[in-house]
Amino acid sequence: MSTPVSVLVDATLITFVFALAALGLAVIFGLIGVINMGHGAMLTLGAYFTWFATTSGVPFVLAIVLAAGGVCVIGVLLEHLVIRYFYDRPFETLLLTWGFFLVATEVIKIVFGTDLRTVENPLPGAIDAGVFVLPAYESMVAVISFALLAALGLILFNTTVGIKVRALAQNAEVASLLGLNIGLTYKWVFGVGSFLAGLAGALISPMLSVDPYIGNIFLVRSFFVVIVGGIGQVLGGTLIGSFLIGGSETLFALFAGQVVSQTIVFALAIMVLRFRPSGVLRAR
Amino acid sequence: MTEGGIKRRGVVTSLGQGFLRSETTVAIVLFALLAGLPVVVSGYTIYILPQYLLYGMLAMSLGLLWGFVGILSFGQAAFFALGAYAMGLSETWGLGPNPAYVGLMASLVTGAVLAAAIGYFLFSVDVRHVYFVLVTLALSIMVEQITVSQSQVTGGYNGMYVPRMSLLTGASGALSLSKDAAIYYFILPVVATVYSLLRWVLARPFGKVLVGIRENEDRLIALGFRTPLYKTAAFAVSGAVAGLAGALYGTHANFVSPSLGGVLFSTQVVVWVAIGGRESLLGALLGAVAVSALSTYLSALIPNYWQLALGIVFIAVIIAFKGGVAGAVMRVAERSAGRKEHG
Amino acid sequence: MGELLRTDGLTKRFRGIVANDCIDFTIGLGEVRCIIGPNGAGKTTLISMISGHLSPSAGRIWFKNQEITTRSVVRRAKMGIARKFQTPSVFDRLTVHQNLELASFGKPMEVAERAVRLEEVLAITRLCEMRRTVASTLSHGQRQWLEIAMLLANRAELLLLDEPTAGMTAEETRATGNLIRMLASRHNLTVLIIEHDINFVRDLRAPVTVLHLGRVLTSGSLDEVAANEQVRDVYLGRE
Repeated sequence: MSTPVSVLVDATLITFVFALAALGLAVIFGLIGVINMGHGAMLTLGAYFTWFATTSGVPFVLAIVLAAGGVCVIGVLLEHLVIRYFYDRPFETLLLTWGFFLVATEVIKIVFGTDLRTVENPLPGAIDAGVFVLPAYESMVAVISFALLAALGLILFNTTVGIKVRALAQNAEVASLLGLNIGLTYKWVFGVGSFLAGLAGALISPMLSVDPYIGNIFLVRSFFVVIVGGIGQVLGGTLIGSFLIGGSETLFALFAGQVVSQTIVFALAIMVLRFRPSGVLRAR
Repeated sequence: MTEGGIKRRGVVTSLGQGFLRSETTVAIVLFALLAGLPVVVSGYTIYILPQYLLYGMLAMSLGLLWGFVGILSFGQAAFFALGAYAMGLSETWGLGPNPAYVGLMASLVTGAVLAAAIGYFLFSVDVRHVYFVLVTLALSIMVEQITVSQSQVTGGYNGMYVPRMSLLTGASGALSLSKDAAIYYFILPVVATVYSLLRWVLARPFGKVLVGIRENEDRLIALGFRTPLYKTAAFAVSGAVAGLAGALYGTHANFVSPSLGGVLFSTQVVVWVAIGGRESLLGALLGAVAVSALSTYLSALIPNYWQLALGIVFIAVIIAFKGGVAGAVMRVAERSAGRKEHG
Repeated sequence: MGELLRTDGLTKRFRGIVANDCIDFTIGLGEVRCIIGPNGAGKTTLISMISGHLSPSAGRIWFKNQEITTRSVVRRAKMGIARKFQTPSVFDRLTVHQNLELASFGKPMEVAERAVRLEEVLAITRLCEMRRTVASTLSHGQRQWLEIAMLLANRAELLLLDEPTAGMTAEETRATGNLIRMLASRHNLTVLIIEHDINFVRDLRAPVTVLHLGRVLTSGSLDEVAANEQVRDVYLGRE
């Protein structure tokens, strides 16, 4: 039964799930300007690692940390072996990360097979709050997503490292004058972004059935979240973008089918891209 | 840079122009061989080859954009699928005295108009080229999903049957293309004509301006060129070519399904063109034919490892062989020509 | 000498920094004019507003008696305003001849007329022997000349040259001076030049406008300008 309140709850949960899925992309795209077309594959890897760990008897909490760590290692390797030589060529990094997607997807198929896998929901059930019902696991994911955004905000705006990294995003020359090791910082940012992507994949895995293309559901949406919110607006932008993309998709789906509403949202995102290329939250 | 380096690079270009002439020679020989092929071969090869050639036509539509204008599209399959559906619907609904002609025209027009609309919408405000990639990617997703959801028209996931077309010839009779050899001899000249037309366009001032956009768009703007219009026109041509290829593919394969417009197929086109050589239309064409032929053959033997190898080759091409196979061939040709010059 | 270009109170502010402040400036048809001034005087900003790459915060621009203040770069280029960028901006992977041919496509021309014009431009800019050379392999000075040649092939009427002799040898600099004088006298082109090299400006024997802190300090012949107390202060660093 959809009441206004339950729709609002759904939209809120979706917003935070989308924000979680887009966060790794927002970090890499917003801070070092790499269009990571392998983001979807990183989500998928996170999901499969979680599936593998939990079915091997590892507790869920440990499994998601291991999964995120594993994706982080893969991301740093990718950066170290390939991406770091192409930072000044956005087109090439786009293609190379897509190449990473192709390779990672085939490796997943070879290692894990193509059957649908399910990760058991560690928090089944729901919280009955009277006027509405909150699914327990989704709510926890929303809280984690919010916590990650807040933590990232604290790091970016209140620590010296964060301020230097933001300086790098603005102007590499100035950042190097501030004594920032640019190569190492890029590596760190890429690693953190990959970690977040892996973590998102891990946390999302109990909500969907896991297949080799699960991450691609979120790839284009994540890009639109980042673009609509405003590149470089890692926090507010991601949240606003997620709300506009995910939340509005939920709302449109009330009146039209799932597909139609998604098409409308994509079309709207393209409009934003054209008329406000620097995002809804425009950097001054 | 040393004097020798400068000199050598100077030689390279004059040979590069020679290479264009030799590309023409290779193309003529190739199309002539293909025209003679049904005399010696028959069966599955003659059935499947036109489909590969149509993939090649799709690859040329991307090669034109990516290699010559410097715009990458991750959504060429969307136009291809729309072309195939246009042909299918025209045949299903029996449009006009000859649905085949209507289908072919509709596929061309759909591709051109949709691409022109999207292109002008984005290029007129100078949307960054990496964002253009994302929009075309979204286009592919939208086409795939819409064709899935509009199942009463498109057949949804199950796809849609498309009959082999027959073309009315004058008042008297119709030319049926239901035989494999017959449609082979229809598709081959179409692909050859499209290749020649694109080559011709690229040799015109319009084509030279496109290359100028790839090289230095700001310079062209400062010289008074309305580059958004040129880019829009190039994208429209590309969309039309992809749409026409799709219509022919649909009627040849007797089938069209949503995945034909999807992201995975769209990016497959990027892989073909990258491997074949983005700065040569013939390279793109042959890249598509060779990779898809190998795919059919090797997918049966080693499905996953083949795709994996393809992904690795793709990465290697982007890192080290920007010109793909065509570029490598050109380099070898130049080196041997250079040796002759010295010796 | 008729007026070709006029600016009226042209002003450009970047976030509170005034790069150009109320510049009134006129250049006549067939005139050669140098703009000099210390770094940060607003020379490139002025040229960018004339070419349309920057839009002014205030003020107006007329070209051939039409107001062009709000017109796009493309429309101004079509009217005959052509700009040479500070670092040579050419089509690196094309040959010299292909570069010029491409530039000539910017204006409608008969095929034969185009061929004649390209030969003429190649001859004027001494690039005949380089016609088949790829632009990226030219020397820095030759690239500068190629870019000027492109503006000529494009049938520009007002050339905006931003430091055309940067990176040139003494010989190339002298030749560039001769080229510019000839373009003005024989081909009736109007040339506006930003230049640092005072010797080059002296060789041109052209009138000079001095910019300082975004304002026109003075105009006149180089000798007149050099005799001006304020100019001496600016250049010698006296306040």
